[in-house]
Amino acid sequence: MTDLPVAAISVGPADPGRLAYRFVRDPKACAGAAIVVLLVAIAALAPVLAPYPYDDTDLLAAWVPPSSAHWIGTDKLGRDILSRLLFGARTSLLVSVSVLGITLTVGMALGMLAGYLGGWVDSVVSRLADIVFAFPDVVFAILVAAVLGPSMLTVIVALSIVWWPGVARLTRALVLVQRNETFVEAAVVCGTPVARILVRHILPNIVPPLIVRASIGIGFIIMSEATLSLLGLGVQEPQPSWGSMIRDGLEALRTDPYLALSGSAMLAVTIIGFNLLGDGLRDLLDPKLAGSLR
Amino acid sequence: MTMFVLRRLLGLMPVLAVAIGLTFAALQALPGDPVAVMLSDHSADAELAARLRAEYGLDQPVWRQFLTYVAHIAAGDFGLSFRFVHTPVIDVLADGLKVSPILALAALAVAFPLGAFAGSYAAIHRNRWPDTAVILFLVAGISIPNFALATFLVYVLSIKLGVLPVAGWGTLDRAVLPVMILAIPCAAYLARLARALMLEVLQHDYVRTARAKGMSERAVVWRHAFRNVLVPLLTQTGVIFGGLLSTTFVVETIFNIPGLGRLAIQSIFARDYPVAMAIILLFTLFYAVINLMVDVLCAAIDPRLRAEGGSRP
Repeated sequence: MTDLPVAAISVGPADPGRLAYRFVRDPKACAGAAIVVLLVAIAALAPVLAPYPYDDTDLLAAWVPPSSAHWIGTDKLGRDILSRLLFGARTSLLVSVSVLGITLTVGMALGMLAGYLGGWVDSVVSRLADIVFAFPDVVFAILVAAVLGPSMLTVIVALSIVWWPGVARLTRALVLVQRNETFVEAAVVCGTPVARILVRHILPNIVPPLIVRASIGIGFIIMSEATLSLLGLGVQEPQPSWGSMIRDGLEALRTDPYLALSGSAMLAVTIIGFNLLGDGLRDLLDPKLAGSLR
Repeated sequence: MTMFVLRRLLGLMPVLAVAIGLTFAALQALPGDPVAVMLSDHSADAELAARLRAEYGLDQPVWRQFLTYVAHIAAGDFGLSFRFVHTPVIDVLADGLKVSPILALAALAVAFPLGAFAGSYAAIHRNRWPDTAVILFLVAGISIPNFALATFLVYVLSIKLGVLPVAGWGTLDRAVLPVMILAIPCAAYLARLARALMLEVLQHDYVRTARAKGMSERAVVWRHAFRNVLVPLLTQTGVIFGGLLSTTFVVETIFNIPGLGRLAIQSIFARDYPVAMAIILLFTLFYAVINLMVDVLCAAIDPRLRAEGGSRP
């Protein structure tokens, strides 16, 4: 394997056992994977793990400091912070998986068509992407959120609109490289339909960089969701979002710091986890990109 | 060179057209009747409502409203505020316009030298403890969201140690935390680039030549290699600036700074959409102009980029 030229490593299916071995040898990637697995477990098991329902208010027990009954204390409505943190993982993951699903589907489909067909399809897709790129990303998300009104659906729509052009542009660039490969020409000569060429011949070759992109993107999406919720444009009460919890907590940071600090810590650890995992996957799946500028 | 600048200026037009079109469409699509917002408790007064509608041009057909909107923006006029009745948007923005650019430029002034130096320093000491320290800073700086960082720093520096004020604006000590929060992610991003660039530059022949001539290691690194790290870093200023504009909303809201970002968010909740849209438009314009300036600067430095279709290194 070590004697093969670089091109041979990056093209074609790699030995899964070898990849797994290299992944396990990378402490950063393992730490990232552990955090992500833990987070998914928390999100899935939130109703079992949480000691209280996330919307269980008790105004007589507002801003209670940590105790055996409330491990991280309570917020201004007397809701258990720990329970809300655990359910907040659901919100974060639900939004990020939805946005990722939408943007990968739309971005890959449009990017592949633009890259393979060229011509006016390429022009239309590229100009649409340019429009979104002309705005700083959060600015555009705020514009969309202002029009649609604050809600979780708004966050998903706004972030999907901001995020798909990046996927489309990357896909288009990857397809442009593949389009002139001999195996694609062979498929064309054989009369293979365009859809089949794209899905069966080109898609498998462009998936690894897109996986890397997606894993790095999740951190960005979670951060953006929290930003919008912090500004009041995102997920609404009583549904818990780490962003809006931090906003509530900041108002009482001097007297009751537990809400803001625990929310910030959850968010920071989550994003560090996804970024470490993303970096690890990039080193693994995309040797050419490893240690490069992006 | 003049042709290049002109071409780039022309390229700005579609961006502006789209931004103007989108903000106008958003103004039309936004929920709620602006006149009802303005009147609040006088909503039964039909005559007053009609007068306001006429003053704000809301009685005109949509296409005419659009033409007025475009014409006014071309003259630097963003219309009238809904929240502060009879007040031009530009007057509402005036105070913020004095604050936000200072904040962004101060952050850039801190982030650029810090990122360039830290990244290069790490590359020179590759795989030793300075490198590890910088990489930890990178991962934390890029991953920890600005508001989480703000929470930690405010808690430790302002509340526990009491060395800096919690929030506000107007004095130097109040600016320290917001500028730090804005600068740290940018510095981390720049440091990551600088590290990668320096590692690459140190492989070049001219570095070996400089060493072979018997130059001191310090001169080789900082006089020869470092300059070649700076130019590609400069091209990233546009990206950095986009990030800064986005962070402005959060930092100004958290630290209660009377800038454009906080004003935009307040305006959205007060249904003062002309102000919010004007700020979004301004931010888009800033972003486009900064990117243009970076392109021109790079073209001035590297003639190859002036050719048609030339892309940045």
